[in-house]
Amino acid sequence: MSTTHTPRIEELLPAYALGALDGDELREMEEHLAGGCEECRRQLPLWQGDLEELAATVAPVEPSEMTRARVLRLAGNRPVPVLAPASRRTSWWLAAAAIVLLGLAVWGVAGQLHLRKELGSEARSLAAERDRLQRQVEVLSSEVGRLRIEAREAQSLVAERDRLLRQVEVLNREMGRVRTEVVQAKQDLQVLAAPGVQSVALAGLGPAPGAKGHTYVNPSTRSALFYAFDLPTLPDEKTYELWFIAAGKPVSAGTFAVDARGRASLRVDRMSDTQRIEAWAVTVEPRGGVPKPTGAFVLKGT
Amino acid sequence: MDERETIDRDLMIRVAARDGGAFARLFEVHGPLTLGVLLRILGARGEAEEVLQEVFLQVWMQADRYDEVRSTPRGWILMLARSRALDRLRRRDSSRRREETAFEEAGEAIPPVGTERLETLERRRQVTSALGVLSPDQRRCIELAFFEGLTHTQIAERLEAPLGTVKSRILLGMNKLRQALSADA
Repeated sequence: MSTTHTPRIEELLPAYALGALDGDELREMEEHLAGGCEECRRQLPLWQGDLEELAATVAPVEPSEMTRARVLRLAGNRPVPVLAPASRRTSWWLAAAAIVLLGLAVWGVAGQLHLRKELGSEARSLAAERDRLQRQVEVLSSEVGRLRIEAREAQSLVAERDRLLRQVEVLNREMGRVRTEVVQAKQDLQVLAAPGVQSVALAGLGPAPGAKGHTYVNPSTRSALFYAFDLPTLPDEKTYELWFIAAGKPVSAGTFAVDARGRASLRVDRMSDTQRIEAWAVTVEPRGGVPKPTGAFVLKGT
Repeated sequence: MDERETIDRDLMIRVAARDGGAFARLFEVHGPLTLGVLLRILGARGEAEEVLQEVFLQVWMQADRYDEVRSTPRGWILMLARSRALDRLRRRDSSRRREETAFEEAGEAIPPVGTERLETLERRRQVTSALGVLSPDQRRCIELAFFEGLTHTQIAERLEAPLGTVKSRILLGMNKLRQALSADA
Protein backbone atom coordinates (compact mmCIF):
# COMPACT_ATOMS: atom_id res chain seq x y z
CA MET A 1 0.00 0.00 0.00
CA SER A 2 1.62 3.23 -1.19
CA THR A 3 1.09 6.59 0.50
CA THR A 4 3.03 8.49 -2.17
CA HIS A 5 0.85 11.21 -3.63
CA THR A 6 1.59 10.49 -7.29
CA PRO A 7 0.30 12.52 -10.27
CA ARG A 8 -2.11 9.65 -10.94
CA ILE A 9 -3.58 9.96 -7.43
CA GLU A 10 -3.80 13.71 -8.00
CA GLU A 11 -5.86 12.96 -11.12
CA LEU A 12 -8.15 10.46 -9.43
CA LEU A 13 -8.88 12.60 -6.37
CA PRO A 14 -11.48 15.03 -7.86
CA ALA A 15 -13.50 12.15 -9.33
CA TYR A 16 -13.22 10.29 -6.02
CA ALA A 17 -14.58 13.33 -4.14
CA LEU A 18 -17.40 13.48 -6.68
CA GLY A 19 -18.17 9.77 -6.15
CA ALA A 20 -17.56 8.99 -9.83
CA LEU A 21 -14.78 6.41 -9.43
CA ASP A 22 -15.59 2.75 -9.82
CA GLY A 23 -13.86 -0.59 -10.36
CA ASP A 24 -10.08 -0.77 -10.10
CA GLU A 25 -9.66 3.00 -9.83
CA LEU A 26 -11.94 3.14 -6.80
CA ARG A 27 -10.08 0.26 -5.16
CA GLU A 28 -6.73 1.91 -5.93
CA MET A 29 -7.88 5.19 -4.39
CA GLU A 30 -9.36 3.54 -1.30
CA GLU A 31 -6.19 1.57 -0.71
CA HIS A 32 -4.14 4.73 -1.10
CA LEU A 33 -6.34 6.65 1.36
CA ALA A 34 -6.21 3.76 3.82
CA GLY A 35 -2.44 4.32 3.82
CA GLY A 36 -3.06 7.74 5.40
CA CYS A 37 -1.90 10.15 2.64
CA GLU A 38 -1.60 13.59 4.23
CA GLU A 39 -1.92 15.45 0.92
CA CYS A 40 -5.19 13.68 0.11
CA ARG A 41 -6.42 14.41 3.62
CA ARG A 42 -5.69 18.09 2.96
CA GLN A 43 -7.20 18.19 -0.53
CA LEU A 44 -10.37 16.15 -0.06
CA PRO A 45 -12.17 18.79 2.05
CA LEU A 46 -11.28 21.39 -0.59
CA TRP A 47 -12.86 19.33 -3.37
CA GLN A 48 -15.84 18.65 -1.13
CA GLY A 49 -16.09 22.39 -0.51
CA ASP A 50 -16.32 22.93 -4.28
CA LEU A 51 -19.06 20.33 -4.47
CA GLU A 52 -20.87 22.06 -1.62
CA GLU A 53 -20.85 25.20 -3.75
CA LEU A 54 -22.15 23.18 -6.68
CA ALA A 55 -25.03 21.91 -4.52
CA ALA A 56 -25.68 25.44 -3.37
CA THR A 57 -26.44 26.57 -6.93
CA VAL A 58 -29.74 24.72 -6.69
CA ALA A 59 -32.71 26.99 -6.06
CA PRO A 60 -33.90 26.72 -2.43
CA VAL A 61 -37.40 25.39 -1.87
CA GLU A 62 -39.43 26.35 1.19
CA PRO A 63 -40.39 23.20 3.15
CA SER A 64 -44.10 22.63 3.73
CA GLU A 65 -45.58 23.70 7.06
CA MET A 66 -46.05 20.05 7.95
CA THR A 67 -42.40 19.22 7.35
CA ARG A 68 -41.31 22.35 9.19
CA ALA A 69 -43.52 21.48 12.17
CA ARG A 70 -42.29 17.90 12.24
CA VAL A 71 -38.63 18.85 12.05
CA LEU A 72 -38.96 21.50 14.74
CA ARG A 73 -40.81 19.06 16.99
CA LEU A 74 -37.71 16.82 16.83
CA ALA A 75 -35.93 19.25 19.10
CA GLY A 76 -38.97 20.10 21.19
CA ASN A 77 -39.72 23.32 19.28
CA ARG A 78 -43.20 24.47 18.45
CA PRO A 79 -43.63 26.54 15.30
CA VAL A 80 -45.33 29.81 16.23
CA PRO A 81 -47.09 31.90 13.59
CA VAL A 82 -45.84 35.47 13.60
CA LEU A 83 -48.58 38.04 14.31
CA ALA A 84 -48.38 41.80 13.70
CA PRO A 85 -48.11 43.77 16.98
CA ALA A 86 -51.40 45.46 18.03
CA SER A 87 -51.58 49.23 18.20
CA ARG A 88 -51.48 50.80 21.63
CA ARG A 89 -53.91 53.53 20.63
CA THR A 90 -57.24 52.86 22.38
CA SER A 91 -59.27 54.51 19.67
CA TRP A 92 -58.09 51.90 17.19
CA TRP A 93 -58.41 49.00 19.61
CA LEU A 94 -61.77 47.66 18.50
CA ALA A 95 -61.00 48.01 14.81
CA ALA A 96 -57.57 46.48 15.27
CA ALA A 97 -59.04 43.64 17.33
CA ALA A 98 -61.68 43.02 14.68
CA ILE A 99 -59.03 42.98 11.95
CA VAL A 100 -56.82 40.67 13.94
CA LEU A 101 -59.76 38.33 14.71
CA LEU A 102 -60.85 38.36 11.09
CA GLY A 103 -57.29 37.76 10.04
CA LEU A 104 -56.96 34.89 12.46
CA ALA A 105 -60.22 33.39 11.25
CA VAL A 106 -59.13 33.62 7.61
CA TRP A 107 -55.67 32.35 8.53
CA GLY A 108 -57.28 29.50 10.46
CA VAL A 109 -59.57 28.45 7.63
CA ALA A 110 -56.80 28.81 5.05
CA GLY A 111 -54.48 26.95 7.36
CA GLN A 112 -56.99 24.16 7.80
CA LEU A 113 -57.53 23.89 4.06
CA HIS A 114 -53.78 23.92 3.49
CA LEU A 115 -53.28 21.40 6.27
CA ARG A 116 -56.00 19.16 4.85
CA LYS A 117 -54.36 19.34 1.43
CA GLU A 118 -50.96 18.57 2.96
CA LEU A 119 -52.46 15.72 4.99
CA GLY A 120 -54.14 14.32 1.88
CA SER A 121 -50.90 14.49 -0.04
CA GLU A 122 -48.99 13.01 2.89
CA ALA A 123 -51.57 10.20 3.23
CA ARG A 124 -51.32 9.40 -0.48
CA SER A 125 -47.56 9.40 -0.28
CA LEU A 126 -47.63 7.13 2.79
CA ALA A 127 -50.15 4.80 1.13
CA ALA A 128 -47.93 4.57 -1.97
CA GLU A 129 -44.91 3.88 0.25
CA ARG A 130 -46.88 1.25 2.18
CA ASP A 131 -47.94 -0.42 -1.10
CA ARG A 132 -44.35 -0.35 -2.32
CA LEU A 133 -43.13 -1.91 0.93
CA GLN A 134 -45.89 -4.52 0.77
CA ARG A 135 -44.81 -5.43 -2.74
CA GLN A 136 -41.23 -5.66 -1.54
CA VAL A 137 -42.31 -7.88 1.36
CA GLU A 138 -44.20 -10.12 -1.08
CA VAL A 139 -41.20 -10.36 -3.39
CA LEU A 140 -38.88 -11.06 -0.46
CA SER A 141 -41.27 -13.65 1.02
CA SER A 142 -41.44 -15.43 -2.30
CA GLU A 143 -37.64 -15.26 -2.56
CA VAL A 144 -37.26 -16.64 0.98
CA GLY A 145 -39.66 -19.48 0.09
CA ARG A 146 -37.67 -20.26 -3.04
CA LEU A 147 -34.40 -20.20 -1.11
CA ARG A 148 -35.87 -22.51 1.55
CA ILE A 149 -36.90 -25.01 -1.13
CA GLU A 150 -33.45 -24.76 -2.70
CA ALA A 151 -31.84 -25.22 0.72
CA ARG A 152 -33.95 -28.34 1.33
CA GLU A 153 -33.05 -29.67 -2.12
CA ALA A 154 -29.38 -28.95 -1.45
CA GLN A 155 -29.61 -30.75 1.92
CA SER A 156 -31.28 -33.71 0.25
CA LEU A 157 -28.58 -33.78 -2.46
CA VAL A 158 -25.84 -33.64 0.18
CA ALA A 159 -27.48 -36.54 2.07
CA GLU A 160 -27.78 -38.53 -1.19
CA ARG A 161 -24.11 -37.82 -1.99
CA ASP A 162 -23.06 -38.97 1.51
CA ARG A 163 -25.16 -42.13 1.13
CA LEU A 164 -23.57 -42.88 -2.25
CA LEU A 165 -20.09 -42.21 -0.86
CA ARG A 166 -20.77 -44.70 1.96
CA GLN A 167 -22.03 -47.22 -0.60
CA VAL A 168 -18.90 -46.73 -2.70
CA GLU A 169 -16.79 -47.25 0.41
CA VAL A 170 -18.63 -50.51 1.22
CA LEU A 171 -18.29 -51.68 -2.39
CA ASN A 172 -14.58 -50.82 -2.40
CA ARG A 173 -14.07 -52.87 0.75
CA GLU A 174 -16.09 -55.73 -0.75
CA MET A 175 -14.06 -55.56 -3.95
CA GLY A 176 -10.82 -55.64 -1.94
CA ARG A 177 -12.07 -58.68 -0.06
CA VAL A 178 -13.11 -60.45 -3.28
CA ARG A 179 -9.75 -59.67 -4.89
CA THR A 180 -7.96 -61.17 -1.87
CA GLU A 181 -10.19 -64.25 -2.10
CA VAL A 182 -9.51 -64.61 -5.83
CA VAL A 183 -5.75 -64.36 -5.25
CA GLN A 184 -6.01 -66.90 -2.46
CA ALA A 185 -8.15 -69.23 -4.60
CA LYS A 186 -5.59 -69.01 -7.43
CA GLN A 187 -2.80 -69.86 -5.02
CA ASP A 188 -4.85 -72.75 -3.61
CA LEU A 189 -5.51 -73.96 -7.11
CA GLN A 190 -1.79 -73.92 -7.86
CA VAL A 191 -1.30 -76.29 -4.90
CA LEU A 192 -4.11 -78.63 -5.99
CA ALA A 193 -3.76 -78.63 -9.77
CA ALA A 194 -0.34 -80.25 -9.97
CA PRO A 195 0.89 -83.81 -10.55
CA GLY A 196 1.92 -85.79 -7.49
CA VAL A 197 -0.41 -84.09 -5.01
CA GLN A 198 -0.94 -86.29 -2.00
CA SER A 199 -4.12 -86.20 0.06
CA VAL A 200 -4.67 -87.31 3.63
CA ALA A 201 -8.09 -87.60 5.34
CA LEU A 202 -8.28 -86.68 9.03
CA ALA A 203 -10.92 -88.11 11.40
CA GLY A 204 -12.33 -86.68 14.63
CA LEU A 205 -11.00 -87.87 17.97
CA GLY A 206 -11.91 -87.55 21.66
CA PRO A 207 -13.73 -84.26 22.26
CA ALA A 208 -14.80 -83.89 18.56
CA PRO A 209 -15.71 -87.34 17.23
CA GLY A 210 -17.87 -85.94 14.38
CA ALA A 211 -15.14 -83.63 13.05
CA LYS A 212 -13.39 -84.25 9.71
CA GLY A 213 -10.52 -82.85 7.76
CA HIS A 214 -8.16 -83.37 4.89
CA THR A 215 -4.84 -82.11 3.59
CA TYR A 216 -3.42 -81.82 0.09
CA VAL A 217 0.36 -81.74 -0.10
CA ASN A 218 2.24 -80.56 -3.19
CA PRO A 219 5.80 -81.87 -2.84
CA SER A 220 7.09 -79.88 -5.80
CA THR A 221 6.13 -76.51 -4.23
CA ARG A 222 6.56 -77.80 -0.65
CA SER A 223 3.17 -76.46 0.27
CA ALA A 224 -0.07 -77.92 1.59
CA LEU A 225 -3.74 -77.04 1.99
CA PHE A 226 -5.71 -78.09 5.04
CA TYR A 227 -9.50 -78.04 5.46
CA ALA A 228 -11.43 -78.82 8.66
CA PHE A 229 -15.18 -79.35 9.17
CA ASP A 230 -17.48 -79.58 12.21
CA LEU A 231 -14.91 -78.62 14.82
CA PRO A 232 -16.36 -76.98 17.97
CA THR A 233 -15.66 -73.29 18.59
CA LEU A 234 -12.95 -72.71 21.22
CA PRO A 235 -12.81 -70.17 24.05
CA ASP A 236 -10.67 -67.07 23.37
CA GLU A 237 -7.65 -68.30 25.31
CA LYS A 238 -7.43 -71.51 23.20
CA THR A 239 -6.52 -72.19 19.56
CA TYR A 240 -6.33 -75.12 17.18
CA GLU A 241 -2.83 -76.05 15.99
CA LEU A 242 -2.07 -78.19 12.89
CA TRP A 243 0.87 -80.58 12.94
CA PHE A 244 2.53 -82.90 10.49
CA ILE A 245 4.69 -85.73 11.77
CA ALA A 246 7.83 -86.35 9.75
CA ALA A 247 10.55 -88.80 10.79
CA GLY A 248 8.69 -89.35 14.05
CA LYS A 249 8.76 -85.67 15.05
CA PRO A 250 5.75 -83.30 15.12
CA VAL A 251 6.28 -80.03 13.20
CA SER A 252 3.87 -77.11 13.70
CA ALA A 253 2.08 -76.07 10.47
CA GLY A 254 0.29 -73.10 12.07
CA THR A 255 -2.70 -72.23 14.26
CA PHE A 256 -6.26 -71.56 13.17
CA ALA A 257 -9.76 -70.80 14.43
CA VAL A 258 -13.06 -72.09 13.06
CA ASP A 259 -16.05 -70.12 11.81
CA ALA A 260 -19.58 -70.34 13.23
CA ARG A 261 -20.20 -73.55 11.27
CA GLY A 262 -17.01 -75.19 12.60
CA ARG A 263 -15.09 -74.77 9.33
CA ALA A 264 -11.51 -73.67 8.75
CA SER A 265 -8.79 -73.74 6.13
CA LEU A 266 -5.08 -73.21 6.34
CA ARG A 267 -2.38 -72.90 3.75
CA VAL A 268 1.07 -74.18 4.69
CA ASP A 269 4.10 -72.92 2.74
CA ARG A 270 7.85 -73.53 2.85
CA MET A 271 7.43 -76.94 4.47
CA SER A 272 10.74 -78.41 5.67
CA ASP A 273 10.04 -81.99 4.57
CA THR A 274 7.18 -83.18 2.41
CA GLN A 275 8.61 -86.59 1.44
CA ARG A 276 8.65 -88.22 4.83
CA ILE A 277 5.29 -87.07 6.28
CA GLU A 278 3.79 -89.90 8.24
CA ALA A 279 0.67 -88.27 9.66
CA TRP A 280 -1.31 -85.02 10.13
CA ALA A 281 -2.97 -84.02 13.42
CA VAL A 282 -4.78 -81.14 15.09
CA THR A 283 -4.51 -80.36 18.82
CA VAL A 284 -6.08 -77.81 21.12
CA GLU A 285 -3.36 -75.47 22.47
CA PRO A 286 -3.03 -72.21 24.42
CA ARG A 287 -3.66 -69.02 22.35
CA GLY A 288 -0.64 -68.25 20.14
CA GLY A 289 0.37 -71.92 19.73
CA VAL A 290 3.23 -74.00 21.11
CA PRO A 291 6.36 -75.58 19.52
CA LYS A 292 5.38 -79.10 20.59
CA PRO A 293 1.86 -80.51 21.04
CA THR A 294 0.61 -80.42 24.65
CA GLY A 295 -3.19 -80.61 24.32
CA ALA A 296 -5.74 -83.20 23.32
CA PHE A 297 -5.81 -84.46 19.67
CA VAL A 298 -9.09 -83.59 17.94
CA LEU A 299 -8.20 -84.70 14.38
CA LYS A 300 -5.72 -87.18 13.04
CA GLY A 301 -4.98 -88.88 9.69
CA THR A 302 -2.20 -90.92 8.14
CA MET B 1 -14.16 31.72 7.02
CA ASP B 2 -17.06 34.12 6.26
CA GLU B 3 -19.61 35.43 8.75
CA ARG B 4 -22.28 32.95 7.67
CA GLU B 5 -19.94 30.04 8.29
CA THR B 6 -18.94 31.38 11.72
CA ILE B 7 -22.62 31.62 12.70
CA ASP B 8 -23.26 28.12 11.35
CA ARG B 9 -20.38 26.64 13.32
CA ASP B 10 -21.66 28.31 16.47
CA LEU B 11 -25.14 26.89 15.78
CA MET B 12 -23.68 23.40 15.32
CA ILE B 13 -21.92 23.61 18.69
CA ARG B 14 -25.18 24.62 20.33
CA VAL B 15 -27.17 21.91 18.52
CA ALA B 16 -24.64 19.32 19.72
CA ALA B 17 -25.36 20.65 23.24
CA ARG B 18 -29.10 19.92 22.61
CA ASP B 19 -30.14 23.54 22.08
CA GLY B 20 -33.56 23.29 20.38
CA GLY B 21 -33.56 26.96 19.44
CA ALA B 22 -30.25 26.65 17.61
CA PHE B 23 -31.60 23.59 15.79
CA ALA B 24 -34.68 25.53 14.69
CA ARG B 25 -32.42 28.33 13.42
CA LEU B 26 -30.22 25.86 11.55
CA PHE B 27 -33.31 24.42 9.88
CA GLU B 28 -34.65 27.85 8.95
CA VAL B 29 -31.30 28.75 7.39
CA HIS B 30 -30.43 25.50 5.59
CA GLY B 31 -33.76 23.66 5.26
CA PRO B 32 -34.79 25.38 1.98
CA LEU B 33 -31.48 24.78 0.18
CA THR B 34 -31.34 21.20 1.46
CA LEU B 35 -34.88 20.63 0.17
CA GLY B 36 -33.86 22.20 -3.16
CA VAL B 37 -30.98 19.71 -3.48
CA LEU B 38 -33.21 16.79 -2.47
CA LEU B 39 -35.83 17.82 -5.00
CA ARG B 40 -33.14 18.19 -7.67
CA ILE B 41 -31.99 14.61 -7.00
CA LEU B 42 -35.31 12.89 -6.30
CA GLY B 43 -37.70 14.88 -8.45
CA ALA B 44 -40.71 14.10 -6.21
CA ARG B 45 -41.73 16.74 -3.69
CA GLY B 46 -43.30 14.35 -1.14
CA GLU B 47 -40.27 12.09 -1.10
CA ALA B 48 -37.89 15.06 -0.91
CA GLU B 49 -39.71 16.45 2.14
CA GLU B 50 -39.64 13.01 3.75
CA VAL B 51 -35.87 12.76 3.27
CA LEU B 52 -35.49 16.34 4.53
CA GLN B 53 -37.03 15.24 7.83
CA GLU B 54 -34.67 12.26 7.97
CA VAL B 55 -31.67 14.49 7.28
CA PHE B 56 -32.51 16.95 10.04
CA LEU B 57 -33.30 14.12 12.43
CA GLN B 58 -29.77 12.89 11.72
CA VAL B 59 -28.41 16.40 12.25
CA TRP B 60 -30.19 16.62 15.62
CA MET B 61 -29.07 13.16 16.72
CA GLN B 62 -25.49 13.29 15.39
CA ALA B 63 -24.47 16.94 15.63
CA ASP B 64 -21.68 15.91 17.98
CA ARG B 65 -20.13 13.89 15.13
CA TYR B 66 -19.78 16.93 12.90
CA ASP B 67 -16.08 17.49 12.08
CA GLU B 68 -15.35 21.15 11.34
CA VAL B 69 -12.01 20.25 9.73
CA ARG B 70 -13.66 18.19 7.04
CA SER B 71 -16.53 20.46 5.99
CA THR B 72 -18.64 23.48 6.78
CA PRO B 73 -21.94 22.85 8.60
CA ARG B 74 -23.81 23.61 5.37
CA GLY B 75 -21.54 21.21 3.45
CA TRP B 76 -22.09 18.52 6.06
CA ILE B 77 -25.89 18.88 5.91
CA LEU B 78 -25.94 19.00 2.09
CA MET B 79 -23.72 15.92 1.79
CA LEU B 80 -25.90 14.02 4.29
CA ALA B 81 -28.89 14.97 2.17
CA ARG B 82 -27.19 14.00 -1.09
CA SER B 83 -26.10 10.67 0.30
CA ARG B 84 -29.59 9.81 1.58
CA ALA B 85 -31.26 10.96 -1.63
CA LEU B 86 -28.87 8.94 -3.82
CA ASP B 87 -29.55 5.88 -1.66
CA ARG B 88 -33.26 6.36 -2.31
CA LEU B 89 -32.65 6.92 -6.00
CA ARG B 90 -30.64 3.71 -6.31
CA ARG B 91 -33.40 1.75 -4.57
CA ARG B 92 -36.01 3.05 -6.93
CA ASP B 93 -37.10 1.16 -9.99
CA SER B 94 -35.16 2.67 -12.87
CA SER B 95 -38.37 3.04 -14.86
CA ARG B 96 -39.66 5.37 -12.16
CA ARG B 97 -36.64 7.59 -12.31
CA ARG B 98 -37.75 11.08 -13.14
CA GLU B 99 -36.95 12.82 -16.37
CA GLU B 100 -33.93 14.99 -16.00
CA THR B 101 -34.62 18.63 -15.53
CA ALA B 102 -32.39 21.49 -16.43
CA PHE B 103 -30.08 22.64 -13.71
CA GLU B 104 -31.76 25.99 -13.26
CA GLU B 105 -35.28 24.64 -13.48
CA ALA B 106 -35.23 22.43 -10.38
CA GLY B 107 -37.43 23.42 -7.46
CA GLU B 108 -39.55 26.43 -6.88
CA ALA B 109 -37.48 29.50 -6.24
CA ILE B 110 -38.47 31.30 -3.09
CA PRO B 111 -38.61 35.04 -2.98
CA PRO B 112 -35.59 36.67 -1.34
CA VAL B 113 -36.50 37.94 2.11
CA GLY B 114 -34.06 39.81 4.33
CA THR B 115 -30.34 40.34 3.90
CA GLU B 116 -29.47 36.72 4.57
CA ARG B 117 -31.43 35.45 1.58
CA LEU B 118 -30.00 38.25 -0.50
CA GLU B 119 -26.47 37.18 0.43
CA THR B 120 -27.35 33.56 -0.39
CA LEU B 121 -28.75 34.60 -3.72
CA GLU B 122 -25.65 36.65 -4.45
CA ARG B 123 -23.36 33.71 -3.65
CA ARG B 124 -25.52 31.43 -5.77
CA ARG B 125 -25.26 33.86 -8.63
CA GLN B 126 -21.47 33.90 -8.27
CA VAL B 127 -21.20 30.10 -8.25
CA THR B 128 -23.62 29.75 -11.15
CA SER B 129 -21.43 32.22 -12.98
CA ALA B 130 -18.36 30.12 -12.12
CA LEU B 131 -20.13 27.11 -13.57
CA GLY B 132 -20.39 29.04 -16.79
CA VAL B 133 -16.69 28.44 -17.42
CA LEU B 134 -17.40 24.73 -17.85
CA SER B 135 -18.25 23.40 -21.27
CA PRO B 136 -21.80 21.95 -21.46
CA ASP B 137 -20.33 18.43 -21.70
CA GLN B 138 -18.10 18.90 -18.66
CA ARG B 139 -20.95 20.35 -16.66
CA ARG B 140 -23.31 17.55 -17.71
CA CYS B 141 -20.85 14.85 -16.61
CA ILE B 142 -20.26 16.51 -13.23
CA GLU B 143 -23.99 16.98 -12.66
CA LEU B 144 -24.74 13.34 -13.54
CA ALA B 145 -22.16 12.22 -10.99
CA PHE B 146 -23.22 14.66 -8.29
CA PHE B 147 -27.00 14.73 -8.63
CA GLU B 148 -27.61 11.20 -9.87
CA GLY B 149 -24.72 9.40 -8.20
CA LEU B 150 -23.45 7.90 -11.48
CA THR B 151 -19.90 6.61 -11.83
CA HIS B 152 -17.57 7.16 -14.79
CA THR B 153 -18.73 3.94 -16.41
CA GLN B 154 -22.42 4.66 -15.87
CA ILE B 155 -22.06 8.19 -17.26
CA ALA B 156 -20.27 6.84 -20.35
CA GLU B 157 -23.15 4.39 -20.85
CA ARG B 158 -25.80 7.05 -20.28
CA LEU B 159 -24.20 9.51 -22.70
CA GLU B 160 -22.98 6.81 -25.08
CA ALA B 161 -19.56 8.45 -24.88
CA PRO B 162 -16.11 6.80 -24.59
CA LEU B 163 -15.08 6.15 -20.97
CA GLY B 164 -11.80 8.05 -21.37
CA THR B 165 -13.67 11.10 -22.65
CA VAL B 166 -15.98 11.08 -19.63
CA LYS B 167 -13.02 10.80 -17.25
CA SER B 168 -11.20 13.72 -18.82
CA ARG B 169 -14.37 15.85 -18.92
CA ILE B 170 -14.85 15.33 -15.18
CA LEU B 171 -11.19 15.99 -14.35
CA LEU B 172 -11.01 19.15 -16.48
CA GLY B 173 -14.41 20.30 -15.28
CA MET B 174 -13.58 19.87 -11.60
CA ASN B 175 -10.30 21.73 -12.05
CA LYS B 176 -12.03 24.59 -13.90
CA LEU B 177 -14.67 24.75 -11.18
CA ARG B 178 -11.94 24.97 -8.55
CA GLN B 179 -10.21 27.82 -10.38
CA ALA B 180 -13.44 29.74 -10.99
CA LEU B 181 -14.58 29.38 -7.37
CA SER B 182 -11.15 30.45 -6.06
CA ALA B 183 -11.22 33.51 -8.33
CA ASP B 184 -14.74 34.45 -7.13
CA ALA B 185 -13.88 33.97 -3.48
